[in-house]
Amino acid sequence: MPPRIPTKPSASSASALVRSSFVSPCTSQCLPSCRAGFSTTPSRERSTILRRDFMMWLKTRGAKYRHPNPEGGPNYLASNTPFPLNPQFRSDRVLDEQARELIWEKVMKKGETLKAVSAELGVDLARVAAIVRLKEVEKDWISKGKRLATSYSKAILNMLPLKTFKPGVENRPLEAINEIHIHTATQKQLFWPTAESRQFTREDAAKAFHAKMLSADKRVPHPELIRMERDLLRDMSPDEARARFISAAEQSERQAAEKQRRKAMDEEQATKKVKTSRFEFRFKEVDSELVGKDGRAPNVVGWKYGMPHYDRKKGLVKIPTSVP
Amino acid sequence: MPRAAQRRLHVLNRPKLRQSWSKYNLYNLWRTRDPKIGLADAETFFQQKWRAKGVLRSYHGEHIKERDWERMFSRRLLSVADMNPRYMAANDGSEMAAGRGSGQDMITPYMNMTFAPMERRLDIAIFRAMFASSARQARHFVVHGKVKVNGKVMPFPAYKLNPGDMFQVEPDSVLFATGQPKKKGGSGPRKASKAPEDNSEAEPAAEGAEAAEAAEASEVPEQDPETTDKPEAPKTDMKPTKFAIMDLSKQVKTILTRDRDLSALQKQNLRSFLKRAKSLLAKAGRSTATPTDIIDELNKTIKELNLSDDSAKAALTESSSSEQADVSSRPPPRSIEDLNAEELKALQRLIKEDEENPADPTKPYHTPWKPRDYMSPFAFIPRYLEVNQNVCSAVYLRHPVARNGAAEVPTPFGYGVNQLAFNWYLRRR
Repeated sequence: MPPRIPTKPSASSASALVRSSFVSPCTSQCLPSCRAGFSTTPSRERSTILRRDFMMWLKTRGAKYRHPNPEGGPNYLASNTPFPLNPQFRSDRVLDEQARELIWEKVMKKGETLKAVSAELGVDLARVAAIVRLKEVEKDWISKGKRLATSYSKAILNMLPLKTFKPGVENRPLEAINEIHIHTATQKQLFWPTAESRQFTREDAAKAFHAKMLSADKRVPHPELIRMERDLLRDMSPDEARARFISAAEQSERQAAEKQRRKAMDEEQATKKVKTSRFEFRFKEVDSELVGKDGRAPNVVGWKYGMPHYDRKKGLVKIPTSVP
Repeated sequence: MPRAAQRRLHVLNRPKLRQSWSKYNLYNLWRTRDPKIGLADAETFFQQKWRAKGVLRSYHGEHIKERDWERMFSRRLLSVADMNPRYMAANDGSEMAAGRGSGQDMITPYMNMTFAPMERRLDIAIFRAMFASSARQARHFVVHGKVKVNGKVMPFPAYKLNPGDMFQVEPDSVLFATGQPKKKGGSGPRKASKAPEDNSEAEPAAEGAEAAEAAEASEVPEQDPETTDKPEAPKTDMKPTKFAIMDLSKQVKTILTRDRDLSALQKQNLRSFLKRAKSLLAKAGRSTATPTDIIDELNKTIKELNLSDDSAKAALTESSSSEQADVSSRPPPRSIEDLNAEELKALQRLIKEDEENPADPTKPYHTPWKPRDYMSPFAFIPRYLEVNQNVCSAVYLRHPVARNGAAEVPTPFGYGVNQLAFNWYLRRR
């Protein structure tokens, strides 16, 4: 902080004038502030060295970051990552409009299964479903005449690394589609003595880790793909193997849909609905005797002796955990 | 200690990295070097962990209370392994049991997943989907009911997204957050000829109130508490008025130089107008000036200026109300029949662009919409999100995971720093 010269309230205006005439080099500089508030404190310098450096950077090396890359594509501080100190985070490619439209058409117009589309284009199963869902929202907006954020979309896609698919040709995959979660039970080291002569397969390894654990072949999102590759290894023609894969994918999706439908139906049957003018009351049968081994199971209904009841406790987070 | 809302978000001395697209943050990101924690013997393990946690926590959800984050933290780090179908078809796994090992692999950066639970939060997911320019702004949108999850308004920024949840942000809010700010004076951004200080003052409005405050606070000198001076009355922004006068005199000058068939009287009138405009400009610079006074006087001068040439007069009066560029220098309009095929196509493209991105003064951002400055170095969309920018919606596909050689949590520091922070939150210290 610059030193402050205390103002003298007793000093008359005449003496102040005399004083100011002696310190003439200063007066020309701080004249406006003197006139405003009779303060002799020189005004503070507005810019610090740090700020000047920052401004200089904006004009020189930082200038190219002001606007998006004129050729399109990413414009990061480091070559492939927005964080120069973390090369282990990569900015992955995203699908462009054409690719999304192609996926939507395959699923909604041609009626191909999600699994088949995912395997053909090399896009994660959940991503295929999400793309179709979002595209449906987009089409809905168009049909309702709601304005899309087209300019925003174009600008953002212009800044990102993009991946496109061409219809009717074999496309290179976007990402690995057959990934499995690494189960906690498999993260420990095991000492598991077996005979040297024994074929110790993935199936056996799963059993060794946990009695109920499924093998990796059953846990992958695309077990049908492994079967197709086996067919191909057995010298089946590619077309036939592909047809078998597609029918297997269809069947598994049908089964999944059937399972979901049955679950919803069971839920429906178990609930008794009473409609009033304002609310719909839904009643479910609950057995209050089912309280677990020690009578204190956490998810059972009702108040249990010795167990805290957190429903209305102050200071606990009560925001919803899911939106159906 | 000041409350989180009062602290400055972006600073130049002792910089902290933030979840924000501010140019200050970009500069800090560019100049930050590896903190080199634990490379010298000078620090104890506790100190190393403390510092690592500090640098990371200032980036990851600095608006979230430490207690809340500690609750969120999970020591279980998610990862995936790629199972190549062709390899799985050819081998049953017994080749792994043969004891020859699998060779040196790339590491799976588990430790970079320390702040993975944070990415489940609704506000941070909105920032990651590029619907807001900072996590704080994303939080603001959520609190103000601009965000829906699975079609229902979700007013809680701390809502943890579940795999498959779709969140939608009001497109107007997104355009406001990611677009150029509206300039105070007029409807559009001024041309490139601007003073450099002016440049620094034109902070993007979308940066959040904190950032703007921070920038202002660094420029306004402090009031000395000992002096009893009255603070000066708030200044009215005279810049637009000044620009209007300058534009007008520029136009008059071009008319004077270009138009050969002006009468002597007209020329005299125009020159006297130029003189008056000059004095008006000086008046506008004074502290007592108000925009209405100046504009009134300007209008009076224009009325006094007797122009028989209607087009010139029209041009002048039009530009006195709005600050249009040089109107009189435009070529005379042609009819559509005169255009050739190429020009027609260009015209159609222009019309389409205008339809998609119209100029609309009622919007709180600059129209036609353009992306804000210094946005592209921050542009990435992590793999656990699928975003459709057209409808400003995104789906949270799954929790972020680590895989061989890469982790999906966007974090500004590398493995070592994250590892120390992870150890801090294990609470064995």
